[in-house]
Amino acid sequence: MSRSVVNRWRAAAVNLGAVIVLLVAASLLPPDTSLSDRERSGVLKLCVPQSFPPLVTGDPEMPGYDVELAGAIASEMGLRLQVNTLPAIGRDYNPRNWSLTRAQCDIIGGGVADSAQTRSFLQTIPTDSRTGWIGISATGTMPETGSVVAVLPGTSGLDRVALSTWLRSQGLRGQLVRSPVQLSQDLASGVAQTAVTERFLANGLELDPAANKAFWLESDHFAPVSTALGLWKGDQTLKRAVEAATTRLEASGSLEKLRKRYGVGAELTLTNP
Amino acid sequence: MTAIMLLRGVYAVWLREITRATRDRAQLIGGVSRPLIWLLILGVGLNPYFRGEVYGEVRFVIPFTYLQFLFPAVIVLNIMYTSIQFAVSVIWDREFGFLREVLVSPMPRRLILLGKVLGGSTIATLHGSLVLILARFADVTLSIPQMLTALGLMFVLAFGLTSFGVILAARVRSFEGFGVFSNTIILPLYFTSSSVFPLDPSLTRTQMVTAYPEWLVFLMQINPITYAVDALRGVIIGFNQFPPAYGLMVIFGMAVVFFVVALIDFGRS
Amino acid sequence: MNDAAIMVSDVSAAYGAKKALDAVSLCVPRGSHFALLGPNGAGKTTLINILCTLRKADAGSASVAGVDVAKRPTEARRSIGVVFQDSSLDDRLSAWENLEFHGLVYGMAKKSRRQMIETVLNLVELENWTHEIVRSFSGGMRRRLEIARALLHEPKILFLDEPTVGLDAQTRQRIWHYLDRLRRERDLTVLTTTHYIEEVEGADAVCIIDGGKIIAEGTPEALKKQYGQRWLHVVPQNGEALAAIRDRFPQAQLIGTNTLAFPENGEVKTDVIIDQFRDRLAEVRFLPPTLESVFLSLTGRELRDRADGQRDADRAAGRRGGRR
Repeated sequence: MSRSVVNRWRAAAVNLGAVIVLLVAASLLPPDTSLSDRERSGVLKLCVPQSFPPLVTGDPEMPGYDVELAGAIASEMGLRLQVNTLPAIGRDYNPRNWSLTRAQCDIIGGGVADSAQTRSFLQTIPTDSRTGWIGISATGTMPETGSVVAVLPGTSGLDRVALSTWLRSQGLRGQLVRSPVQLSQDLASGVAQTAVTERFLANGLELDPAANKAFWLESDHFAPVSTALGLWKGDQTLKRAVEAATTRLEASGSLEKLRKRYGVGAELTLTNP
Repeated sequence: MTAIMLLRGVYAVWLREITRATRDRAQLIGGVSRPLIWLLILGVGLNPYFRGEVYGEVRFVIPFTYLQFLFPAVIVLNIMYTSIQFAVSVIWDREFGFLREVLVSPMPRRLILLGKVLGGSTIATLHGSLVLILARFADVTLSIPQMLTALGLMFVLAFGLTSFGVILAARVRSFEGFGVFSNTIILPLYFTSSSVFPLDPSLTRTQMVTAYPEWLVFLMQINPITYAVDALRGVIIGFNQFPPAYGLMVIFGMAVVFFVVALIDFGRS
Repeated sequence: MNDAAIMVSDVSAAYGAKKALDAVSLCVPRGSHFALLGPNGAGKTTLINILCTLRKADAGSASVAGVDVAKRPTEARRSIGVVFQDSSLDDRLSAWENLEFHGLVYGMAKKSRRQMIETVLNLVELENWTHEIVRSFSGGMRRRLEIARALLHEPKILFLDEPTVGLDAQTRQRIWHYLDRLRRERDLTVLTTTHYIEEVEGADAVCIIDGGKIIAEGTPEALKKQYGQRWLHVVPQNGEALAAIRDRFPQAQLIGTNTLAFPENGEVKTDVIIDQFRDRLAEVRFLPPTLESVFLSLTGRELRDRADGQRDADRAAGRRGGRR
């Protein structure tokens, strides 16, 4: 009877096989010209704000995580990276007023959060650098109800309302501090047992790593977000190539090195410069 | 008839549909050409109009590319075509006498219909999953659980639409009439299902009505396919325009209601 | 009562205003070959449809193998095999697949299914065509395959609705040979409908049906003895002569356009007709008693109406045209 079973499905298998081969072949077609255009010009253009440490610093010695990452990606792809510093980025709440165009930028970096809001305008490639509210205390945990917490919100786009709501709901008294210096002093002097600040700001604090521990804060209203490189919607082939390059860099360990160098990974460390 | 004997019968009816459909090149070509036309040609063709030239400025504020947005809708389109065209198989059986062979068998009619609808939905799901092969092209990545959930939803949707095809078949006399008929049903349903142009999720209802004339928004809102597409988008690209429960309710509701109506129709014939 | 394979009592059925069956009663003993003879439109197919539960009787009751077809249709279907007038094979599947489908639908287990498929394919001598798609089969092969399929689940009763339409004499004979053997070996009851006289000569009992009513029933021999008489057929030379003969003998029955038939029963003396019209006759013929003459006696019509050939041709053409 096995012969009959073979007969029976041979035609079906041939038909289905042909169909699948055709579709797989079709799926390999490039849906646009974004990659071939870049390869023709040999240049990959990255748009960044003037400064967004540690992702973009403006320091030629240590230009920033996003800049170095984009450079590594470009050389993986055999392209030359051209960094366009646009002071308009971040000046306004509405990105439309930054006037970033397709002609200026292939990739946008330096503080692009991988959020649904960003993805409405750009497609994103998360770069494994994470930002969000963090706590710093001697124990590595939040203090008990009623304690005073020093808060340094910084200038990043993280949701401050959500943070203060959360602090209140935990029964903690938030006390705004003006500068990183004041935050360090308050912690050192015991005015506040705990500090809350934005992740990248914490990199600039002068704190004793032995006496203080940093930890991510998480609640229903805010969670650490990954920052990303933003590509134009519809630049599918370019995005795929950039993604592939990122994967290769990750596999070779160069990305991990880069994250360590700038201290942007998921692991929180306090440095004492 | 013991349960196992009845199961054999359902299996036989199911298997016959599968055998016929997978041998029928014309039907498979249809199943391939639709995703190719809609994703490769329309999707790529319209891509520049949806991609945005200035950061912060796009016509439709959805967190996806146009191809990603279109992808689940093309799956639904393929399922719709195959399911509703299934009526042809039902008419065929009736006109060419095969129906009598099953009607004089000891199989209860309900189970004959069940087997047939299951067969039709399997084929429609297969055609839907042919679109999934193009996922890479549309830049859609699917995890295994996502894939399984999508296949499950696709099957339930196909089940409802196949039953709908059976209901149509009971009301249509000829093959010739059916070709025209199916196109006049499928394409309007597809185009008014928020499939090729999105109703902006970030706008409020009043703004939505301003963006599109009210009658069009109304058509989209009463079209059950809108919610089926939405449910599948929710699973495949994580994007819902409506509360996710709506889609599930509509997909399962269609399956139950249409199958029951088909049962009543089939029992009468 | 236990020996009756099929019981029909006072069954009536109508299509709109037209009565297809009018209070028909009959009883078919187990293991017999029963033939329903009648012209097209006599109600044979309607009766078959009622017996195989495709249609409900408007009045009366019927049972097959002791099961009421209206009350327990599913059970009744288990014990019957049906070969329809029109093909009901799936012509996109192979012979084997058609049989496998049938076996599964009748709930047969794999082993007995496979065994029976082989048996019935051998029976109708299609074993070399097992895996061919039915579309490529000739009319005779399709018929044989359908008979094989109807026997697959070992039914107690086999219905054959015009089983040998369009088959050559050799195939026809072979099919009857199989069926006779099955009746002997398995106590199979066979009910056929036909409008071919030759088909029913070998039947155990014949039931002549016309206009929805049974007009005679019995063994072929008994019917011939009772109703069969020698008939005289005369063909006059022209219409004038035909009219003259009809004037003289009003009991003459007109067959076709130019043949007059007289029963040889003493009322009309053959030699009188010949004497009187000798010069105006083209042909004189005697017909021995046959079932055809029985039918003629009962209805005054020839059994095979001209429309038949046309209808069969239409049906064949329709199927060709509709095939994709």
